[in-house]
Amino acid sequence: MAERVSSLLRRSVEHLKDEVPDSYRVLVAELGPMVVELDVDGEVFSLRGGDRLQVSDGAADVAGARIVTSRTTILDVLDARVELGEAVESAKVSVRGSLDDVQRAHDSLLAYVHAAIRASSQPGLLSELRAGSP
Amino acid sequence: MSAVLAGSDFLRAPVLATARPEGFKEWHHFVVHGRGFRLLINFSLTNEVFGAGQVRLAPRVIVIAHDEKWTGAIERFDGRALDVSADLGELTIGGNRMTVLPDGYRVAIDLPDNSIRGELHFASASRPFVVNNQPVGDGRMSWLFVPRLRAEGWLRIGGREHRIEDDLAYHDHNWGRFWWGDDFGWTWGTILPTKPGDPWSMVFLQMTDRSRLRYLSQALYVWHHDEPAAIFRHAAVQTRSDGVLGRAADCTLPPPMRLLLDGEVPGVPERVEITATRAGDRVHAEFRSQSYARLAQPSEVCLDRSTVLCETGGTARASGTINGEDVDFVGTGVFEFLYG
Repeated sequence: MAERVSSLLRRSVEHLKDEVPDSYRVLVAELGPMVVELDVDGEVFSLRGGDRLQVSDGAADVAGARIVTSRTTILDVLDARVELGEAVESAKVSVRGSLDDVQRAHDSLLAYVHAAIRASSQPGLLSELRAGSP
Repeated sequence: MSAVLAGSDFLRAPVLATARPEGFKEWHHFVVHGRGFRLLINFSLTNEVFGAGQVRLAPRVIVIAHDEKWTGAIERFDGRALDVSADLGELTIGGNRMTVLPDGYRVAIDLPDNSIRGELHFASASRPFVVNNQPVGDGRMSWLFVPRLRAEGWLRIGGREHRIEDDLAYHDHNWGRFWWGDDFGWTWGTILPTKPGDPWSMVFLQMTDRSRLRYLSQALYVWHHDEPAAIFRHAAVQTRSDGVLGRAADCTLPPPMRLLLDGEVPGVPERVEITATRAGDRVHAEFRSQSYARLAQPSEVCLDRSTVLCETGGTARASGTINGEDVDFVGTGVFEFLYG
């Protein structure tokens, strides 16, 4: 059985904290105290900001941004088959929240990518994400 | 020319990166000017800092090719996949291998995750040249280049197999301590004639600051048959870039970097003109960009910036006179525009 996306994200941010601590701190600062709720193929979990990043299972009571997408779309965007903007416009990625929170979520995504590309553990996690695609 | 390459083109990392690892980088780069297609192969070793100030050598293999459009892959390997032979003449990264021969190179590519395989042999057709300690930001880089080789072999990429049969090629080997994203940029070009019997080969290098407004050094190297015929440096070289190529990059690698390089910046010039004059010699070369791939890597200086190398294929035309001999050929160029 494929590893859940929430578990992969949890492992990813833990690796970032150890491998690229400076980039991790930039990501923590970017997200601030905001909570982002994610729904990937019906698996609902939350990324919580604060002093450190936490990934928790289940829906968030209060979320700044709510994102609904699929594992296939995440891979399409990471593999550059689809641009993020196109994925949003074609409703493959749904984002809800105030404009400020959506902007903060987007800036946090970029900070996450900047951190992830600097960490050697991430290609392996991407392979595991790929292994679970339909 | 036997053993010239084996004597001068050997891996530096085992000595230099061990002695002082910070910022050390090294790569072997091959460009095949094939009939109807271009191929770039790069074996690289980069010392990177991780965790609390620890350093490790990260090996990568890059293969990109162009027939209708640029496609390819950058694969990063674990340090355990790296092996350097005791004589420093052979570099193995996973299933990929580059061997320096007495008068050429043997390259084997095996990137199964991207369905890329190939075997190539490069025979040197020109004397190599070394440039030492070129300033790049706060660091220094040395490079050895072979302006012209003859390539044989095959490469399977993007579901197609390309035969390489006596095609002209270029090689360089770079090493030094510097940091991606530091205050430098460069334009690096190989120009070779379409007619394989034409004796002229050219290599162009221009180092700038990051904003590409200050020119720090530049040179045009012209080889006639297998020997250097003219080397134009600094003020002997004048360049002019016109326009911006009116098409986006065919691909951005590794693909996740597309998230950070949204849009079409940086692009590449539509045309680069190089005029060089010295001691009665004069050359004018023009490179017209046709298409490009963007190879991106994280800045080592700034946590939210990237360094982008635009590998650009195009046509070239050169004319002039060197040592009383006319230079007049059309050919192909592969130019690399680095944006820090």
